Amino acid sequence: MENRPLEYDYTVAKMFMFTTIALGIVGMLIGVILAFELAFPGVNTILGQGLAEFTNYSRLRPLHTDAVIFGFTLSGIWATWYYVGQRVLKVSMAESGFLMFIGKLHFVLYMVVVVAVVASLFLGITTSKEYAEFEWPIDIAVVVVWVLFGVSIFGLIGIRREKSLYISIWYYIATFLGIAMLYLFNNMEIPTMLATNAAGESGIGNWWHSVSMYAGTNDALVEWWYGHNAVAFGFTVPIVAMIYYFLPKESGQAIYSYKLSLLSFWGLMFVYLWAGGHHLLYSTVPDWMQTMGSIFSVILILPSWGSAINMLLTMKGEWQQVAASPLIKFMVLGSTFYMFSTLEGPIQAIKSVNAIAHFTDWIVGHVHDGTLGWVGFMIMAALYHMAPRVFKREIYSKSLMVSQFWIQTLGVVLYFTSMWIAGITQGMMWRAHDEFGNLAYSFIDTVTVLHPYYAIRGVGGLLYLVGFLMFAYNIYKTMSARPVEESELQNASPMGA
Amino acid sequence: MFHWLEKHPFFFAVGVFVTIAFAGLVEILPNFAQASRPVIGTAPYSTLELAGRHVYIKNSCNACHSQLVRPFKSETDRYGHYSLSGEYAYDRPFLWGSKRTGPDLMRVGNYRTTDWHENHMKSPSGVVPGSIMPAYTWLFKNKADINTAYAEQLTVSQFFSTPYNKPVPMKDGSTKIVKMGASTAEANALALAEAKVIAADMKDQDVKDAVANGQIPEIVALIAYMNSLK
Amino acid sequence: MNIAELQAYGYFALVLLLVVVLYSYIYHLYSTDKKKGGHDYEKFSNMALNDDIGDAPVTPMSDDKEK
Repeated sequence: MENRPLEYDYTVAKMFMFTTIALGIVGMLIGVILAFELAFPGVNTILGQGLAEFTNYSRLRPLHTDAVIFGFTLSGIWATWYYVGQRVLKVSMAESGFLMFIGKLHFVLYMVVVVAVVASLFLGITTSKEYAEFEWPIDIAVVVVWVLFGVSIFGLIGIRREKSLYISIWYYIATFLGIAMLYLFNNMEIPTMLATNAAGESGIGNWWHSVSMYAGTNDALVEWWYGHNAVAFGFTVPIVAMIYYFLPKESGQAIYSYKLSLLSFWGLMFVYLWAGGHHLLYSTVPDWMQTMGSIFSVILILPSWGSAINMLLTMKGEWQQVAASPLIKFMVLGSTFYMFSTLEGPIQAIKSVNAIAHFTDWIVGHVHDGTLGWVGFMIMAALYHMAPRVFKREIYSKSLMVSQFWIQTLGVVLYFTSMWIAGITQGMMWRAHDEFGNLAYSFIDTVTVLHPYYAIRGVGGLLYLVGFLMFAYNIYKTMSARPVEESELQNASPMGA
Repeated sequence: MFHWLEKHPFFFAVGVFVTIAFAGLVEILPNFAQASRPVIGTAPYSTLELAGRHVYIKNSCNACHSQLVRPFKSETDRYGHYSLSGEYAYDRPFLWGSKRTGPDLMRVGNYRTTDWHENHMKSPSGVVPGSIMPAYTWLFKNKADINTAYAEQLTVSQFFSTPYNKPVPMKDGSTKIVKMGASTAEANALALAEAKVIAADMKDQDVKDAVANGQIPEIVALIAYMNSLK
Repeated sequence: MNIAELQAYGYFALVLLLVVVLYSYIYHLYSTDKKKGGHDYEKFSNMALNDDIGDAPVTPMSDDKEK
């Protein structure tokens, strides 16, 4: 035992890889069900009238968003953190019993929170604030889980051998700090059990119920400052952390410009948080904030494209790798979708465009080309890269990966094109007037017209889910594939036929 | 200086935090100084309305319905006067929504009736042909949680001075007093009195019987809330 | 002076500060590595490329007292 050379310890990374896949399947499956419920309302009662309360669109919708954000994506972030963190700091978790304990505790508590969230959302226990639906007891548990993540980050940094912090570590630190600040301020609430009345009664009603400390417009402002930046620090910052590690490592190419990556980092940190106001254009928040949100959204193109272009240029002169390796394909298409959605977002944030786009499916389409094309592809690529190194086996099937790539790409394209058309169609119909100045369409006209697009979107989502199941199968089979030597793991991941 | 920061994680983290927090400090904090003041005509929710609001939230109605009328002709034509900030003064949480799969409900109380809601909740496509909204039949069976709504009233009146049992100015110059019970029993009695008015306009015999027996189905509370949205 | 005015002055001062910091950072990044004794930022990419536990760190912890 004592004479074994020191190795990186991926125990915790493996646990989070498992939840990434499991919760990914759950979240995406619910998403596909939701998509078909909109296209074919009969699906709402798919388990019969008796269970309709738990299978109808509105009850499932928060489950979908929270399962993919806080289930799939967050697990993916942690799986990669417990892998990348050790490697770029050149320190093994096996060297610290304390950090190993924290890591495992982190996972166990996270599982507890996941169960609590699923149960409470099914029961309709929600604060209604998007991506912050959890009531106060779960909020407290979330804070504990987050603190453990922080202890893990700074603990590992504390015992590092590499003095400088690699750019990915910067992004992980920013993820930790950003979400911590946003989550705390957005979830300021008072449990209603604390109130007492004139008759001296207290603890009235449900103990888990709480009321927001902010009212109306202020509540909206804080919520979208959170909601927008939960996207920033959940879907952008940690995913950039991943690609800055996995793309150079898998391709064996140094980052095109390390300096550009640093500049983009500070740019992204500073600019992103201003842009939350673009969710509230033409609402009752002060006009200057709306304008500020619009302007900063456009400025946001610069740091976003700084990272994305840096990634694409890393492949300069090595484009044959894109053709040869499905793993590189995922990452390169991921960066491309990142560029695409960080251009689309600012366009939607322009006030006159937003007047049409807001409240429509175009927004839904935008979210999904970012999440399916960028976040999903990048997390799957990261797990594909990690699997051979964690299990010391080659990836089960390269051809399966290739077919998965094309199936999912087709799925994403069907998804966002149908949502573009649906969103713009509906936005234009809402505002159409006839020659006498009356509204040209009743609301239901603008709903029935969307049916074909909803159906296409459902198919697109289904294709993506099928691809994800192929991914899950591939990773599962990898665990019993051909064992590989350490030397095969330098850069490009070994793959079976 | 910059390179030093890159090697010292603690100070680096402080630097990142300041950069991140900057926008919030400049953009959001100052607005809180000007706390949202209610416009004339905006009153706090009654116990039953608040219980209905909880039903609305429990079923995530806000996933498909907005409560925000933007200042465009097409929207004011369709939904009524555009939204004013003070109209939301008692909304904790806000329910603006982010997606309008169904129509806006900001002023639904102006143009829909108890009767309409009852039929619509049982069979949306029966009332609006082509509707993709699912039926909400369980609202007719589940009972509304009046105690929790009452606890919330107590909380907001204690912590945020929401004016319950106090005169609130109305648009026509009169004043309105929204009552809050002094005890749980009184709060339930107030809610039931309100529920009886709603149930009188409804046809569902089970709902009528429940209210007559002193129970309040969720649908009654929800309709009370919807009727209050004006 | 009300809060909005204070905000405006504060905002202007901060924008000025940020412009100075941003440009000095860019200057720092793109000038130091050419001079002798400066930092070669591009070598930091190697932290990802040579990340086996046995690989030599790009800047070992023991370099603490080099300056």
